[in-house]
Amino acid sequence: MFKRLIVDFFYFLQTSRSYQKTRRFFYNFLENDSYPHKKYFDAFMMMLIFISVATLIREVKHDIDARLLFFNYYIISLIFFTEYILRLWVTSSVSEIVIRHYENDSMLGKKLNLLATFYEVLRVKLRYILSIKAIIDLLAILPFFHQLRLLRIFILFRVFKLFRYARSFQILTSVFSAKKFEFITLFIFASIVIIISSILVYVMEAMNPASPINTLFEAFYWSIVTIATVGYGDIVPVTDGGRIVAIIVITAGIAVLAFTTSLVVSAFNEKLDEIRETKIVNNISSTKKYYIVCGYESIAQEVVKKLLNSKMEVLILDEDEERINQAKKAGYAALNFDPGSVESYKKLQLDLNTQVKAILCLRENDVENVYTALTIRSLSKEVYILSLVMQEINKKKLTYAGVNEILYSKELIGMVTREFVGQPVAFEVIHALRSEFTNINIEEIFISNHVLENFVYVKDLMSSMYRVVLLGVYKKKLERFFFNPIDSTILEEGDYLLVIGNSYFIQEFTKYLNKR
Amino acid sequence: MKEKIALIFGNNAYASEIKKNLFEEYETIRIFTLKQERKTQEEKGDGEYFDLSDDWSELTERYDMQNSIAFCALEDDANNIFLCISLRASFEHLKIIALSSDKESAHKMEMAGATKVIPLVQTTADIIVDMLEKPITTHVLHNILYGKGNLKIAQIKVEDNNYFEGKYPSDIEWSRDHGVLVLSIMDEEMNSEFIYSSQAKHHPIKNGDIFVVVGYERDIEDFDKLIRSIE
Repeated sequence: MFKRLIVDFFYFLQTSRSYQKTRRFFYNFLENDSYPHKKYFDAFMMMLIFISVATLIREVKHDIDARLLFFNYYIISLIFFTEYILRLWVTSSVSEIVIRHYENDSMLGKKLNLLATFYEVLRVKLRYILSIKAIIDLLAILPFFHQLRLLRIFILFRVFKLFRYARSFQILTSVFSAKKFEFITLFIFASIVIIISSILVYVMEAMNPASPINTLFEAFYWSIVTIATVGYGDIVPVTDGGRIVAIIVITAGIAVLAFTTSLVVSAFNEKLDEIRETKIVNNISSTKKYYIVCGYESIAQEVVKKLLNSKMEVLILDEDEERINQAKKAGYAALNFDPGSVESYKKLQLDLNTQVKAILCLRENDVENVYTALTIRSLSKEVYILSLVMQEINKKKLTYAGVNEILYSKELIGMVTREFVGQPVAFEVIHALRSEFTNINIEEIFISNHVLENFVYVKDLMSSMYRVVLLGVYKKKLERFFFNPIDSTILEEGDYLLVIGNSYFIQEFTKYLNKR
Repeated sequence: MKEKIALIFGNNAYASEIKKNLFEEYETIRIFTLKQERKTQEEKGDGEYFDLSDDWSELTERYDMQNSIAFCALEDDANNIFLCISLRASFEHLKIIALSSDKESAHKMEMAGATKVIPLVQTTADIIVDMLEKPITTHVLHNILYGKGNLKIAQIKVEDNNYFEGKYPSDIEWSRDHGVLVLSIMDEEMNSEFIYSSQAKHHPIKNGDIFVVVGYERDIEDFDKLIRSIE
């Protein structure tokens, strides 16, 4: 009966929407780095830490307002305590463990083994409690018991909590952990040198009344100061034996320092690309509309340049390291990810439907473009895909792969030449209209609900007053372009006006249409 | 009278696309393949071979080279540049259209005498960006340029016409009275100006000016009848 009640209770939790929603809410704030609002929570916690440490420093020689002390010792501790409990809750799900045990046991025709279940819950929770981060969190709460003077110093542990909230600290930790083995070796070497030299110098110096080294602690202190190449000079060996030990320790110290420096530098070098990648991924996940360019060959390079000139956000993906380095050198957001791999898009933590404006498959290789298009379509049915095709015969394959727009550059060039041959002046005029280097432009103006409040018919637009010419109206509902529309044409939401004129006049006209 | 000819230099997909688009304008089209590209040519069995050092005087004897056109579509930019310069040296008034893989070569081809250079990468990239950023404009202009709808673009020359003589473009209600939109006016000195620019505003219409107009086919025809000559 008791077991039944427990299982029912956890099933209820597992299926309860509000419970799961609440849990997800706290999980996002505390643990989910890709959650856009987490940074505000992190900033708030960091502010509490700074207040706490500043109060500790001020308290040493000054009187502090009782309310601030109360805030520091009780309120902040309480917030940290709440955070600790919430983290303990969200890092692992008890209901999942209980249900899994129950289902496994019932499949085997057994009754739920409550003890084993309890043991696993305890093990999972203890694993978290004993993790370094959780221990630091716990120690940061201890200043709550500030009556014990020693516990006040635990405020400093709050500084360590910064590691949780600042990403750069996390990167630093990951850099050092990548060279864990080398650092341990170095630490062991330095420890052996320190221990042996401390004992040696103690043996050499302690019996000499003129020597400042009288205890093993003093010898140990001298060893560390010397090996670290600090050399305060407050304690120095006076005997020949002691000085020989000093020579050895100094030599070892130089080696340790050189080794440490090279380790840190190489660790950073190795991680540099990863750090940059993480930064790009973090930036992307917080941006609304991106163009993803797959492949960075000659056409892609030009497209990226032009899109960036139009102030668009662009991300380049290419599995070729050399090409990606070229993009990085040009200062673009580029990742050495395979655009044909699902894993790449997962790593980007992007919602392809809402955060991506279009994906451009611009490899100058049809096989690669088909593969990439299929990969993207397997992830999203909606995202707009444009692809280059190098051989006409492959157009159909790209259509089957779900590409929305296919560009066969050779055909386009053929058409361009025909127009140039037939009507050279008209050709130049149209191209000049599209070019960014002339003052006269052709622009699309979106008809929003806001515009419709003041302008219902084409005659209301008064475009000639602004010295722009209305080429026509694109009716969204009919998916048709109406050239030179008559005055009584009704404007509807979603329509576009195509206007030609001086770019400044077009801007003014757009402002006029959107006036309040 | 000698006939005009379209010469296409190169044996690749670009050359064949150009050829496809020239039938309306040119009855005679000759394709020349560089001897170095002979292997592929044998597979196709089309065209003639040439060498960069060839002398082109035989063409002058057979064709009206003043009104002919040449397309330099060789794979290698250096060869294309050399070809442009050889053609220009032989035919002063020949229209030479060259394809270049980048802007740097495009500039050199212009220096070598090409009338028009089409930088392949830039042109393709321009089309892609236009499609993404101004899809409706691109669609409409594409249809106008390549005649895929009723809407057309035409060059109309004012010849012996008193209708517009002395008037200023800004005084005329083009769309209301004639159903067409005039995009630009090119005067006899071959200076093309958009009608929306202040220069065009102060330019009185003269005989010999060329209008670039957009409109429905019928309106353009009516407009043409009005000023008599269509190019």
